[in-house]
Amino acid sequence: MEDKKRWAHTLAARVIFVAAFLGLWEYVAKSGMMGEKSELIFPSLEVIGGALVKNFVQGYAGMSLWVYIGNSMRLLLEGLLIGIILAFLLSGLSMVSRVFYDICNLVISVFDLLPGVALLPVVIIIFGVKPGVIVFLVIHAVLWPMARNVLDGFLAVPRIYIEAGQNMGLKGASLLWGVYIPAATSYIVSGLKVGWARAWRGLISAEMIFGVASCPGIGLFINQMRTNMNNAEMYATLVVIIIIGLVVQYGVLSPIEKCTVKKWGMSR
Amino acid sequence: MKKEEAILEVQNLSKVFDANTDNEKDVLKDVSLQVARNEFLCILGPSGCGKTTLLRCIAGFEGYEGSVLVNGQERRLPGTDRIMVFQDFNQLFPWKTVEKNIQYPLKRQGIRDKAMLKERSEDVLQKVKLSGYEKYYPYQLSGGMKQRVAIAKALALKPEIILMDEPFAALDAMTRNELQDELMRISLEEKCTIIFITHNIQEAIVLGTRILVLAQEGKIVVDEKNRIEKPVTPASEGYGATWERLHSALYQ
Ligand SMILES: Nc1ncnc2c1ncn2[C@@H]1O[C@H](COP(=O)(O)OP(=O)(O)O)[C@@H](O)[C@H]1O
Ligand SMILES: [Mg+2]
Repeated sequence: MEDKKRWAHTLAARVIFVAAFLGLWEYVAKSGMMGEKSELIFPSLEVIGGALVKNFVQGYAGMSLWVYIGNSMRLLLEGLLIGIILAFLLSGLSMVSRVFYDICNLVISVFDLLPGVALLPVVIIIFGVKPGVIVFLVIHAVLWPMARNVLDGFLAVPRIYIEAGQNMGLKGASLLWGVYIPAATSYIVSGLKVGWARAWRGLISAEMIFGVASCPGIGLFINQMRTNMNNAEMYATLVVIIIIGLVVQYGVLSPIEKCTVKKWGMSR
Repeated sequence: MKKEEAILEVQNLSKVFDANTDNEKDVLKDVSLQVARNEFLCILGPSGCGKTTLLRCIAGFEGYEGSVLVNGQERRLPGTDRIMVFQDFNQLFPWKTVEKNIQYPLKRQGIRDKAMLKERSEDVLQKVKLSGYEKYYPYQLSGGMKQRVAIAKALALKPEIILMDEPFAALDAMTRNELQDELMRISLEEKCTIIFITHNIQEAIVLGTRILVLAQEGKIVVDEKNRIEKPVTPASEGYGATWERLHSALYQ
């Protein structure tokens, strides 16, 4: 009951905030208080709405925004998948070998601090301008925070679970799969959250800095809207980017949390 | 009388913690001990005398000198022939339901048949009076219930020997008595061999068919059969005398 009341409270607060924000926006847009550039800086909500529809129907360069979203998502998923697998591989091997652990720890600390965009020039020199570069940056964005979290999670597994596992005959890979990974789930989930957020931003930045013509994504789209001064379309694309972020947060990450650590009474 | 068959044999077991440092400590020195099949061996001893360490060596969680034999075979690593029930309530996997906690090790042993797994877990849960709690997660159980599940899990595996390290020490007196009664009933009904560590004299007399008292470095100062008829109550014949004897051995 308390929960429900709290939830309704939260929802009401959010709805009021968003409505107030949109109202203010519309007021500024309609009043023309920003002078002659007003229409560019603050297009009214109707105009942005129209641009949103136009993005999907007409799009840019003969392709709907859906195509750009699809391209981005494909590269993103590919990078996320490889990054997550590599993160588990690195952390798993670190649990087996002390030397590997020490090296891994250093590598993670160094690369975690290196912005992917800063790597861009080097990567382009090596690989050329290809969709693979974007995948590379997504991997870079997700791998290090994910590996750091998984490793911390593995190290924090209570000894009693490990011993209980060994007692029932688990060792090596079966111990990793049967005990370490489930016991570290809360760390893994927070690694996913950080990794996803970094990957999503990294992807958009990389696409904006250099769009790959053979695989144009959302970043390229928004950048084209900018260069063509299609500001309403630009805002509309921003809204789409925000919505995708929310969908992943509430449609994928929260449910994962709900059916694991929350259900097991393991979340702090 | 023919010598009883020893299911577990500990030969000249020694354990040093922090060897070759300033903190070097001989925790166990040359401990030898035999446990017969179906025996319920209670080990008493003052805090810090090495009870937990001895059990952990037998379970294979610690390295040691000497040897541990199960049915004549040397054992150095953990295995399902020696199942440990820890004192810590949090020994169940929180990510598995009660039922799955019990079935998982069985599956690892190669039992794939769903109906059979179900039957086994229901059977042992009934033995510890937890029927109906199959789908609960450990965080939804009280400490006493978690210890019951841990015992059920051990029973389901039908190990050669169950190792219990003060499993009831952190429970309130009432729950503790209840669990003692149940464990005693189970040990009489089932064919199982148990080493049960405690620092509670009453618990040792109520449960054990044989009682050991350890002193520092794991020195065995008392090793006697418990001849008081079960179920034991403080009014049982011989209870007072046994209690006095163990008490003076424990606090000498
Ligand atoms: N991992 C360890 N490292 C160093 N000393 C330990 C360790 N575990 C136990 N000890 C020491 O060994 C002695 C026996 O401990 P323990 O077997 O837990 O005693 P008991 O269970 O009888 O109370 C104690 O003095 C304790 O401090
Ligand atoms: Mg102890």
